[in-house]
Amino acid sequence: MPNRKPSRNAYYFFVQEKIPELRRRGLPVARVADAIPYCSADWAKPVFTPLRRPGMLVPKQNVSPPDMSTLSLKGDQALLGGIFYFLNIFSHGELPPHCEQRFLPCEIGCVKYSLQEGIMADFHSFINPGEIPRGFRFHCQAASDSSHKIPISNFERGHNQATVLQNLYRFIHPNPGNWPPIYCKSDDRTRVNWCLKHMAKASEIRQDLQLLTVEDLVVGIYQQKFLKEPSKTWIRSLLDVAMWDYSSNTRCKWHEENDILFCALAVCKKIAYCISNSLATLFGIQLTEAHVPLQDYEASNSVTPKMVVLDAGRYQKLRVGSSGFSHFNSSNEEQRSNTPIGDYPSRAKISGQNSSVRGRGITRLLESISNSSSNIHKFSNCDTSLSPYMSQKDGYKSFSSLS
Amino acid sequence: MSGRARVKARGIARSPSATEVRRIQASPLPRSVDLSNNEASSSNGFLGTSRISTNDKYGISSGDAGSTFMERGVKNKQDFMDLSICTREKLAHVRNCKTGSSGIPVKLVTNLFNLDFPQDWQLYQYHVTYIPDLASRRLRIALLYSHSELSNKAKAFDGAILFLSQKLEEKVTELSSETRRGETVKMTITLKRELPSSSPVCIQVFNIIFRKILKKLSMYQIGRNFYNPSEPMEIPQHKLSLWPGFAISVSYFERKLLFSADVSYKVLRNETVLEFMTALCQRTGLSCFTQTCEKQLIGLIVLTRYNNRTYSIDDIDWSVKPTHTFQKRDGTEITYVDYYKQQYDITVSDLNQPMLVSLLKKKRNDNSEAQLAHLIPELCFLTGLTDQATSDFQLMKAVAEKTRLSPSGRQQRLARLVDNIQRNTNARFELETWGLHFGSQISLTGRIVPSEKILMQDHICRPVSAADWSKDIRTCKILNAQSLNTWLILCSDRTEYVAESFLNCLRRVAGSMGFNVDYPKIIKVQENPAAFIRAIQQYVDPDVQLVMCILPSNQKTYYDSIKKYLSSDCPVPSQCVLARTLNKQGMMMSIATKIAMQMTCKLGGELWAVEIPLKSLMVVGIDVCKDALSKDVMVVGCVASVNPRITRWFSRCILQRTMTDVADCLKVFMTGALNKWYKYNHDLPARIIVYRAGVGDGQLKTLIEYEVPQLLSSVAESSSNTSSRLSVIVVRKKCMPRFFTEMNRTVQNPPLGTVVDSEATRNEWYDFYLISQVACRGTVSPTYYNVIYDDNGLKPDHMQRLTFKLCHLYYNWPGIVSVPAPCQYAHKLTFLVAQSIHKEPSLELANHLFYL
Repeated sequence: MPNRKPSRNAYYFFVQEKIPELRRRGLPVARVADAIPYCSADWAKPVFTPLRRPGMLVPKQNVSPPDMSTLSLKGDQALLGGIFYFLNIFSHGELPPHCEQRFLPCEIGCVKYSLQEGIMADFHSFINPGEIPRGFRFHCQAASDSSHKIPISNFERGHNQATVLQNLYRFIHPNPGNWPPIYCKSDDRTRVNWCLKHMAKASEIRQDLQLLTVEDLVVGIYQQKFLKEPSKTWIRSLLDVAMWDYSSNTRCKWHEENDILFCALAVCKKIAYCISNSLATLFGIQLTEAHVPLQDYEASNSVTPKMVVLDAGRYQKLRVGSSGFSHFNSSNEEQRSNTPIGDYPSRAKISGQNSSVRGRGITRLLESISNSSSNIHKFSNCDTSLSPYMSQKDGYKSFSSLS
Repeated sequence: MSGRARVKARGIARSPSATEVRRIQASPLPRSVDLSNNEASSSNGFLGTSRISTNDKYGISSGDAGSTFMERGVKNKQDFMDLSICTREKLAHVRNCKTGSSGIPVKLVTNLFNLDFPQDWQLYQYHVTYIPDLASRRLRIALLYSHSELSNKAKAFDGAILFLSQKLEEKVTELSSETRRGETVKMTITLKRELPSSSPVCIQVFNIIFRKILKKLSMYQIGRNFYNPSEPMEIPQHKLSLWPGFAISVSYFERKLLFSADVSYKVLRNETVLEFMTALCQRTGLSCFTQTCEKQLIGLIVLTRYNNRTYSIDDIDWSVKPTHTFQKRDGTEITYVDYYKQQYDITVSDLNQPMLVSLLKKKRNDNSEAQLAHLIPELCFLTGLTDQATSDFQLMKAVAEKTRLSPSGRQQRLARLVDNIQRNTNARFELETWGLHFGSQISLTGRIVPSEKILMQDHICRPVSAADWSKDIRTCKILNAQSLNTWLILCSDRTEYVAESFLNCLRRVAGSMGFNVDYPKIIKVQENPAAFIRAIQQYVDPDVQLVMCILPSNQKTYYDSIKKYLSSDCPVPSQCVLARTLNKQGMMMSIATKIAMQMTCKLGGELWAVEIPLKSLMVVGIDVCKDALSKDVMVVGCVASVNPRITRWFSRCILQRTMTDVADCLKVFMTGALNKWYKYNHDLPARIIVYRAGVGDGQLKTLIEYEVPQLLSSVAESSSNTSSRLSVIVVRKKCMPRFFTEMNRTVQNPPLGTVVDSEATRNEWYDFYLISQVACRGTVSPTYYNVIYDDNGLKPDHMQRLTFKLCHLYYNWPGIVSVPAPCQYAHKLTFLVAQSIHKEPSLELANHLFYL
């Protein structure tokens, strides 16, 4: 027999969750209906916390900044100007616990960053890992092959560990005696810490860098801004995006040339991009090329000069003006009809580097963000992933409703 | 006991374990590194158990009260752990009878054999202590075996625990012996337990006995299986040879102890590492020889013929030569050349070759120093196939021709093995001293369940063969398809032409199946992953329903980066097609049909259905898999049906950081799936049947105690009054039994839908075998189902038929598959995440089969 139940809304479940707590408080609640009066006040709260839908924050801040006035501008300013270093060191795998040498440092990347300025400087170097412990060559080779693919021996780019460390110290270049904090992802912390210590041992320079986690940094910034703690999942999804994987000027030269995604420098830069993209915008900072790899979006055709957009509708006998793609290239309509090239007389568009019309670039997007957000979704693709529990349609709807 | 072993046992000096072991640091380990070589095989199954026996807690107990022996025992014998779990007795409806009755009976021959022994057969477990205590296991064994009291008895001994088939006269027997060094050692043999033949410990002992017997048939154990090097099958054109062999086991089936054997092959290359190196040197020249050599060799598995053991090459030591010395375990120094001469009478000819280094696997999980073995390339044969070889179609075909045995070929091999066991005097003697008798091959009766009708939109189709109904449904419309209006095709310059012709074809076939495909926007990009990703980032907007990428090569980065971006960062269904696939002449129609079907599913469409008599039934598939990048991450894929017709699915993949293959996120998934069901059906499902795949040996207990409660609690919490009834079924594709039908005096594969639920099953479980796949060549393997939890109380008949029906619902293949569709979906999902995405796909895609 089917068991028929009235449909329940979210409020029902919310109240149901609250019942044990109310009982603990000694209130006489037997059913959901009894508990409703006690819960109404609480119900209002979670719905409007920015945390629930962090993806919506970006446009919100730009359109009508509600929280801005409540925060002290001075604190913001200090935060915006604050300089952070993101550091990562890659190893040829991790050796088992009984080995004295746990890691074999092979690549280092470091980025100097502030919310205001974006990436201010970067440092990258390959490291000579030293002798591979006998018997672990396969282990190290396999670990390398599955990630950064740096050759485990005879790699002439590798620098001596002491030199690399010296250069790193020179790059961080502290005020006398006052070393800035260095950040890395929490998963990498053990490795980076171990490698730093190991390299210091080899170089006889003793300088204990304070290694903190990026996750904590994000929590800190967020807390300072919104006086609330973001969830760990939100932070993880914020930092773990694939959209910058192939951005230009992100990987080191060697990894870029060999088209390998895993690069120590890229890891650091991507942290900077992610923080810029999701946090700097909260402070109302205009994103520049130093914040995110804008050039890819701004003039994408110059990066991939052969990218040609064809509207397959050309096969269609009757082509209606209101085809489903009109919004894709409305700005290019004019351009296209003026440049008849090759086989695609009126539909193809090949824009060269000299094209005055920029692509649907992020800058234009940001410029236009205040007055129109007709194509806001483009950049927000990565923001929607921040609110994974939102259905696609709802998510987008909420964006357009904000504009 | 063989004379050779006795010689060795006299002193530890000649311990064979020192063969190729050279310790980096003299570690104080008392044990040898590889414990078993020849005689020690009697105790092979007990590796690691010897420690526990010093515990004198147990008095003599008959029966196996609490199989503590097992639990604390051997790690690699986990399959025995499952035996002590009795799930059937808790399931009232199958307690008396778990067999079905519907379907056409069919006579089947199996690869199982009777093993007869007297009714009152018992095994006696003794504990042996030595005064003074001896560290060497070999010495312990040798001293004990040299005693006349034991010499003609059937025995198995691992250095501490002794098993006898005949009771000693005294409960405590004291013996004394003298070592070669003149020390007198007192041995005390104390009776601990008397075990009936049904005890799991006995089964372990039976397995050891059979291993001994196979060795007596001059077969060698490699890994778990036994191979016969004296009858190699050669594939000269690829420099390969195959060693035929068997995987064997003895275990308790429904009513009796049975011996099962399956044919297995070991692929070897007819080339020593030294020959390989020389050839490589000639090809590449000396300049970069060491590098190329390391690149090509490191990671391969070699077999040393002198002891038929396998090692992996972890390193190459160019500084050590065969003329160098190493320290044996007793401290004496010997050169490798002399050592091999003395030990194996092998003369090493090339004295300048470098040495291969292998990191020996640790037997115990302590933090002791890793141990290295140095191997001489000249004596090492390459085994297995490299990636390069597996992608060589001709080579794989040649191998398959030899290894894919037809049922009759398999039957012949089995008959020969049995014949050998019965004829070989040594083997027969071994069996007889234990009081065992090798019996006849088991034949049993299975049932063929009726075939299924495939329901299409306006047509009910009875496929000619359930194996492939693609032809039968060609003219039919699929159940439900979203029309595809806004979509992109990404292709490179070179593939543009083929993309266009493919598009035309796709539109044609999609139209005839009732799937409306509009013209896409075609974007031409450069041939590199970055260009593809940038184009996707630029052109995908919320209206885009699907992105199709025509990949110029099967380089993994293309696929991985596209899938990664489009399933988590920017959740849009994606379809990747290799340009090479589209270039296949004359295949375009079938390729387009297949892709059109996949695309329909990715957009949330439904292709076909089967009749499901149960209303309000949710089926769930769960599979687990290790992430390819970080080995400590487990990928758990869960797929649940969300409509009573079982055509729409909710799929979710969860990553968990644990070392075990047990899922601990099932509650969150089940709750989500039930909510989805409620959303679509405004009610909760009355029945839930969970198919759990990816279960290893020895995990049954964990499953029952850890996973089932998670599922139960989420089901119970989902509703306040009547909660859904749950069943959990463990699905295993690999199982020992094989079934053949006898026809015209020869054997054949059994027909699709054959169910076996007697004799080859286990008495303590509610289990059955189902054949739901076709093997065109070779022998079909049945899928094994074990119902470990069942509230639904379905009759076994119904459970079996439902399972068979579910095998028809995998939309990536217009035919029946070897496991129920939800399992196959879960497998596909975990595979995609573990290989390419490495993070949880967006929940926005959960309602589509985006991973097909």
